[in-house]
Amino acid sequence: MSRRVAITAVGVCSSLGCSGEQIINSLRKGRTSFARPSFDDQVVSSPIPDFNIKAFTGPFKDRRYLSRGGQFCVASAVEAIRDSGIKKDLLSEAGLFMGTGPNLDIGGEFPEILDGKMDRKDLMALWMLRFLPNTAASAIAMYSGIHGENLTINTACAASLMAIGEAFRKIRDGYLDLAFAGGGDSRLSRGGILAYKKANAIYTGTGEPDTASRPFDSRRKGFVPGEGGAVFLLEEMTHAERRGTTIYAEICGFACSIDGYSMTAPEPTATWAEKAVRGAMDEAGINPSDIDIVSSHGTGTPLNDRAEAYLLHRVLGDNGPLVIALKSWIGHGAAACGALELAIALSCMHNNYWPEIRNLDDPCHINLNFVREKQDYFARTVLLENFGFGGQNAALVVRNTMHRRT
Amino acid sequence: MKEVFERIRQMLADILDVEGDEILPETYIVRELGAESIDLLELAVSLNSGFNVEINDGDIFLSRLRDYVTEAKGKKDDVVLYLLERLPFLKKDRIEEMMPDLEDGPTLKVKDLVSYVEWRQENG
Repeated sequence: MSRRVAITAVGVCSSLGCSGEQIINSLRKGRTSFARPSFDDQVVSSPIPDFNIKAFTGPFKDRRYLSRGGQFCVASAVEAIRDSGIKKDLLSEAGLFMGTGPNLDIGGEFPEILDGKMDRKDLMALWMLRFLPNTAASAIAMYSGIHGENLTINTACAASLMAIGEAFRKIRDGYLDLAFAGGGDSRLSRGGILAYKKANAIYTGTGEPDTASRPFDSRRKGFVPGEGGAVFLLEEMTHAERRGTTIYAEICGFACSIDGYSMTAPEPTATWAEKAVRGAMDEAGINPSDIDIVSSHGTGTPLNDRAEAYLLHRVLGDNGPLVIALKSWIGHGAAACGALELAIALSCMHNNYWPEIRNLDDPCHINLNFVREKQDYFARTVLLENFGFGGQNAALVVRNTMHRRT
Repeated sequence: MKEVFERIRQMLADILDVEGDEILPETYIVRELGAESIDLLELAVSLNSGFNVEINDGDIFLSRLRDYVTEAKGKKDDVVLYLLERLPFLKKDRIEEMMPDLEDGPTLKVKDLVSYVEWRQENG
């Protein structure tokens, strides 16, 4: 009998709120945070206003070494640890799997850089830590006393879903009984916006900020950058049952692949993305007809959504399961998007409530069952997809462990 | 003294993420405030840019204090005079105060940082 893996704690920082309850309330009330950044009136982003890591950690001197994305990792991990209620002895055995992104806030870190001369008198002795990918993991471990197997994953926008998938397999295969997994990211700085603007990947235009993120709509013009983080405690099922802890959901399958096609664009037929999606379903031992909800990657870029729509139709057929696109609510969380979307999907699952894809007026594919209006719906099995720059593809299958409400 | 102390207090509070009122001239930087080596590294950067004085990490944080004591004893020199020569920013009474305190761990106090900065400001 193979080992099963439960999700037994959640910590989340999102533009919809920092708890399952806040998130579901924001979804029900249509509260989003899309706005134009102060430094660029052509783009739109979805920031988390008033985020202060100290509200999560209390005094914690090593926060000075955290980029904003790193701060979301640490804040979410602290919340997940608190939610788990586990103490030092179990924490020391736990694993840690984080999906993180690069710190693109070059101008913020080096405001006076000229002729490539980076040094200045007040530059922190260990300024490089804000640019190293595993600084968040190091800070989480120092803060909490986690000492188990660990991995920091930097596979672009597939990173945090892959971190969760790798943690799932480590537990299923018996290397760990407990692992914290997720990620955090923020690329809303001038440097981040510049990067994606030059790459022609983000929305630019003068329309209402609230209508900029429009996955699968024929008028989509690019993604809208968001930020945040989410971390989960993954736990071997019988271990969780012995502890008598809340089981939020079960992770049943994961797979990933890489296109080998373009540095940025998705492979247009989504052949290799399909391999990841089918791999995750095989690992979960399910058929396409078993899926109730697909949480799509749905960035709102012309190329991604077209390839993803083809893929979904090929795998799921006509009138398949409901398809949601959470980036229409929170923007694109970059490396954190998988973890953020899983956290939101869990809230939806527990409330039997699935939000509409915002701004989807004219779907780019007519045979997919996009959620056009909010739905009260019990979902047993959810498929999550994330695809990233570099041709990174990842898919995860999650099962509801709550019983249907009568 | 007062102005230099206040600014150092603020730097320590920022770097160590502690409340400023926990920091007094007599507060031990390692023993009480829990500073680690990377914190001292950052503090040296802050002192250097904040006061515009050269900071010798080895001197200001008394990192060689124990070596100096051993050296002085080996040469049968007067320990206090030997230290006064090598750590000229410290006053004689402060060095005498440190001697019996060495066994209890790192003896560096906030007032030693103040002495160093003031001495640098006066002597360039």
